Amino acid sequence: MNEDRRFGESDHEPLEPDDILARAIGSWREETPSRDLWPGVSARLNAPGVGRRRQIALTLPQLAMAASLLIAVASGVTWLAARPQAPAGVQQTVVVAESEPGGRVQGDVLNANFADAQFDAAVVDLERILRDERDRLDPRTVLVIERNLRIIDDAIREARTALDGDPANTYLNSHLADARRRKLELLRHATTLASAGGD
Amino acid sequence: MLVNDVVLAAEGDTAAFERVYQAHMPRIFNLARRMAGPDAADELTQDVFVRVWQKLALFRGESSFATWLHRLAVNVIIERFRTLGTARQRFLADGEAALEVAPATRTKHLDLSMDLQAAIEQLPPGARTVFVLHDVEGYRHEEIGTLLGVSSGTSKSQLHRARQTLRGLLTKQA
Repeated sequence: MNEDRRFGESDHEPLEPDDILARAIGSWREETPSRDLWPGVSARLNAPGVGRRRQIALTLPQLAMAASLLIAVASGVTWLAARPQAPAGVQQTVVVAESEPGGRVQGDVLNANFADAQFDAAVVDLERILRDERDRLDPRTVLVIERNLRIIDDAIREARTALDGDPANTYLNSHLADARRRKLELLRHATTLASAGGD
Repeated sequence: MLVNDVVLAAEGDTAAFERVYQAHMPRIFNLARRMAGPDAADELTQDVFVRVWQKLALFRGESSFATWLHRLAVNVIIERFRTLGTARQRFLADGEAALEVAPATRTKHLDLSMDLQAAIEQLPPGARTVFVLHDVEGYRHEEIGTLLGVSSGTSKSQLHRARQTLRGLLTKQA
């Protein structure tokens, strides 16, 4: 990052004691609220919608499903790396994710099953929910989810890089669409699991 | 005794939860005041403790309760910034712009404590959050980056600019 180079490690250093900021922080007084806040808290504790959370963990079948997803994605990446180039002039038709409208059709190739902006917005929303709710999941579950997400992200990145050099490639387009769909499915599944932990 | 209160509160004992609240409220209130300003501090403090009530059963004692509570409070406050429409880009981009135009006309204040409170309220949310978390609360840039969803480099640059701006404001007031 530019900022890293620009500022280096200097910002890790504490403020000098005679720095006006250090003196100001040292003299920063603690204050108390001007009113009693507890009644407002108390009134909300048993209000509708203020459910108490419990920790949940993935069951063995769910963990097995996550593991199989991991293997499937990893296999796709490996196959992508190892496959020979398709002969020129051979045209394939690929059908992907009918449930996700909005893809652009180029010849017989469905480039992506929905627009980048839609996908990115959905991913950002789901990632935020997952970040907020992650402590409701067992740490082992979080590890499995994060590992799978990293693999899917790698697959998406590799497919995009390959598509830069071969934009009309049928397999690459379907692989990218599939990887993105898998990412959304995994995020949706994870956030649903976390949300299901509430009352 | 407080540890027992945390356990009891986790089981749904509201009287125990009130004792937990009374013990920790001052620190959370001041955290909210510093990060979000005095106008928002009351409501944010209440929001934090409602969230604590919801999530207390998830506290597993891997860190101290105070540490767990503090981290949860920071998340609630940052979440509020985002809810108010301060999206990640704007959260930080505004800081870059606003920090360039530190106001020059300030009246003389009584002490550094009051000056700092007044000065920090002139920082945009992103820079204020980074400054409070790093220089006041002792978080590392990596932790701040994780909390805000930005790189540690961005956190460093925000802190650098926030410090410069605050020094400028405090020096003018001195």
